[in-house]
Amino acid sequence: MSEQWFERDPLWFKRAVFYEIHIRGFFDGNDDGSGDFRGLIDKLDYLEWLGVDCLWLLPMYESPLRDGGYDISNFFAIHPDYGTVEDFREFVEQAHQRGMRVIADLVMNHTSSDHPWFQESRAEPDGERADWYVWSDTDERYPDARIIFLDTEPSNWTFDQLRSQYYWHRFFNHQPDLNFDSPEVQEAMLEVLRFWLDLGIDGFRLDAVPYLFERDGTNGENLPETHTYLKRVRAEVDARYPDRLLLAEANQWPDDVVQYFGAGDECHMAFHFPVMPRMFMALRREDAAPIYEILERTPAIPDNCQWGLFLRNHDELTLEMVTDDERDYMYEEYAKDPRMKLNLGIRRRLAPLLDGGRDEAELLHAILFSLPGSPVLYYGDEIGMGDNVYLGDRDGVRTPMHWSGDRNAGFSRADWAQLYLQPLMDPVYGFQAVNVEAQLRTPTSLLRWLQRFIALRKEHPVFGLGSYEPLPAENTRIFAHIRTWEEDIVLCVHNLSRAAQAVQLDLAAYAGMVPVEMLGQTAFPPIGELPYLLTLAPRGFFWFQLRQGDQQG
Amino acid sequence: MTVDQNALIEYVTRQRWYGAKSRPVTHSEVLDRVTIRHADPTLTLALVEVRYETGAHDIYQLVFSDGTAGAFDELADDASPARELVSALRAGLTLQGKLGVLEFRPAEDSTALSRDLGAARLVSSEQSNTSIVFDETVILKLFRRLEAGINPELELLRFLGEHDFRNTPPLVGWYSYSGGPLTATLGLLQEYVADGIDGWKLALDEITSAPERFLDRLERLGEVTGEMHSVLGSDPADSAFAPEEPSVESLGLLTATVDEEIARVFLSLPEDDERLAPIAGRSEEVREQLRLLTYAGSSGRVIRTHGDYHLGQTLWSRSGPEAPAATAPTAGRGAGTPAASGGDWVVLDFEGEPARTLAERRRKRSPLRDVAGMLRSFAYVATAAHLAADGDVPEDWEERARARFLDGYLEAVDPALLPPGEAAIERLLAVFELEKAVYELRYELDNRPDWVQIPVAGIDRLMQQAAEAL
Repeated sequence: MSEQWFERDPLWFKRAVFYEIHIRGFFDGNDDGSGDFRGLIDKLDYLEWLGVDCLWLLPMYESPLRDGGYDISNFFAIHPDYGTVEDFREFVEQAHQRGMRVIADLVMNHTSSDHPWFQESRAEPDGERADWYVWSDTDERYPDARIIFLDTEPSNWTFDQLRSQYYWHRFFNHQPDLNFDSPEVQEAMLEVLRFWLDLGIDGFRLDAVPYLFERDGTNGENLPETHTYLKRVRAEVDARYPDRLLLAEANQWPDDVVQYFGAGDECHMAFHFPVMPRMFMALRREDAAPIYEILERTPAIPDNCQWGLFLRNHDELTLEMVTDDERDYMYEEYAKDPRMKLNLGIRRRLAPLLDGGRDEAELLHAILFSLPGSPVLYYGDEIGMGDNVYLGDRDGVRTPMHWSGDRNAGFSRADWAQLYLQPLMDPVYGFQAVNVEAQLRTPTSLLRWLQRFIALRKEHPVFGLGSYEPLPAENTRIFAHIRTWEEDIVLCVHNLSRAAQAVQLDLAAYAGMVPVEMLGQTAFPPIGELPYLLTLAPRGFFWFQLRQGDQQG
Repeated sequence: MTVDQNALIEYVTRQRWYGAKSRPVTHSEVLDRVTIRHADPTLTLALVEVRYETGAHDIYQLVFSDGTAGAFDELADDASPARELVSALRAGLTLQGKLGVLEFRPAEDSTALSRDLGAARLVSSEQSNTSIVFDETVILKLFRRLEAGINPELELLRFLGEHDFRNTPPLVGWYSYSGGPLTATLGLLQEYVADGIDGWKLALDEITSAPERFLDRLERLGEVTGEMHSVLGSDPADSAFAPEEPSVESLGLLTATVDEEIARVFLSLPEDDERLAPIAGRSEEVREQLRLLTYAGSSGRVIRTHGDYHLGQTLWSRSGPEAPAATAPTAGRGAGTPAASGGDWVVLDFEGEPARTLAERRRKRSPLRDVAGMLRSFAYVATAAHLAADGDVPEDWEERARARFLDGYLEAVDPALLPPGEAAIERLLAVFELEKAVYELRYELDNRPDWVQIPVAGIDRLMQQAAEAL
């Protein structure tokens, strides 16, 4: 009974720090070379120590794994490499006991072509599941729908020899789209949700959610029918399962994404994709404008909703939500080797993107944690793990977690050759140099810093709940803003430049208050009527709590 | 009976056992109620929810009677209604509520319920629970703020009883609720040690009046503690108790946690405080020692532990536990220990640290954590005796107390539970003691500045000891 481990709190996700886990790559509990739920249970103490509130699992369902498990062949079973449904239940229970919630990826849009539903649909054109997928005699319908996996797919239609018809797929051709116009498909998907919610799961990240429906003359994204169905899903969840979360993955502009919040009656959270490349752009250009601009373009959202923010995740650093010029700039700066590009993006981890820069890593985390939204961390990035651009597709950012400098990076006791992917061994990012054990022992490590930083953020609900007010200064290398919630006022100032900077901030509205730096609890001079002068180290940042003059120290 | 919400809030928030004194309450209601006695005066056990401004909530246990107006809890001033609870335990009743079921269960083999109970009195010193002693033979403990899951005290008392650990008062019965609002242990009944002397008070008295006798007693306490850990780690078939190998990171996580705490505490140390002089400015040195101490290989195994172990959790019983102490495996060697001359230690209160969540309190840990807690309480009692003393506290008392306790402990405990070798044991023990001392330092700075010298001396001593050991 998951609710027993938590205080009732329908808005928990607004203050949460999320942590994304690739189960296969986290820890091998049964020595077969592949991560699993037993292994994940073993590492819960570590995650609890790190201070994250919610674990987000990449797909764990039965699957032929032609797309990292996003090609599901049975929604009601765990992939045998990861364990059993019973292992999953035990994992959720153990996570709850440690105060962490669990959400998992769920793909509603499509299934694997191996799924019995699809096999039945193609074999029996008059059968019960004949219309569970989108079939057509021509491959010319819906021409306005773009092709997403440009590198591999020539069309959204693929011909099926058996049924002698084309089937619709927005992603790989082995991932046929389900036909949500079928009431039975709609009901079947609700049954999937109930199954996992009954096992105690705290919610879902809804993968590829904009593409559920198709309509002539549209690009097949964000259709009204999709929103209607998602509202139905939300109502079902609210009615029977309190405090659960629906997180939409819609790689779109904020104006479109906000529709997924509805009037607070659709998804609780949605990822804010466009802010991510702009943080990297701002860093490289040493200019705060891209961040200010995208936040200005971000509409207000209902009070019971939240943005999900991230620096990196299991996919490529997507560049769909930037202009062509900006994309060229990003490729030029962050993907000098063409191998680093994938589709419209860059397949690299955080540390190599930042050339291993520690100041840069801290600065980007500070910006991420200061923005209105809930941060999502990607496994391995907390120790500054590297990637392997020579591996295919997105495998380069999905290599085994580095637990120690021992054999197999402490990830598995299987034979080296048996590992699903080999851990990194290069001299800079290899597991001898970058691992949890060593960083735990080193007070100045990135891991230890991030643990302190997560704790700091969680001490201040303002970061999850507060308002955001930009504070642009004449010095455009400075990204400064103010977050306010009830009595808690926080001033965040970040220096994007490689050089030390001085900035004058207009804080007249807070005259008489005393900025107290939050990491070291140092009181700065009180704010007066004149512009407030600060100097910042290269790539440095300050977070201040603004206190009334008489309660400093 | 209908319940006026405001009156209920007013009542509950005034009670000593009410935990959330500073949180604004927005709502309160009776979630479920079960009538235990139908005859007049009726008695009803109620689960009362208190909801706070933030949407969070707590559930409390109250015992209503329809007979009295205005009072919501019959056990607030009068212990006698609790007799009904004991009767229900004796009868093994199962009672149905609106949303769940209330189960009263007597412990197997217990003879304490074989006769009717007479005089009942409330124990006045309780904070978060309510305890009632009947006829000076059994004690009923009601948990007021309820937490989901099995209570660790019930779990440990049952286990220790089933595995013939004699130095804790046997469990007599318990009652619990399971249903919609939560599944929780509500109370337990245990034999009462009528002739027990609180270990802390005995220490205060004997440090000056009979220091050698008390050192003998401490060696016996070490043995009892070692036996307790051996028993707790003795059943690999019971998954809740089976000893486990700690995860690879566990020592690293512990080090990191203690290290951060040291850094934080030293950051907040007041300057120019003479009492802090022995450790002032030595933050980096302390952290360095901590790192050196944790370069140990194995850290032993983790088991269920007492969880909040110190002198105040022990009693010296003149008559000793019901079975003769001679049955204890190590008693033969203790010619000089008082166990041989009648009387023995009794360990109490297996609830764990009250501030921690139930899941945390049930977690397996190194048994040396309990040992560290006890050793730290020797430092406290020595200082307290010194402050209060009429006579003198022998100079080296604490050192000798530690040595005698550890002698007894290491003799009795199953060595498979500990790190291999004396040096590794000392190092891990020092880490846990440092963890405690740093916690104490923060606590005393905030609450009892006069006691600050105790953790300061503790940290100073650990630094010297570590320097010698390494």
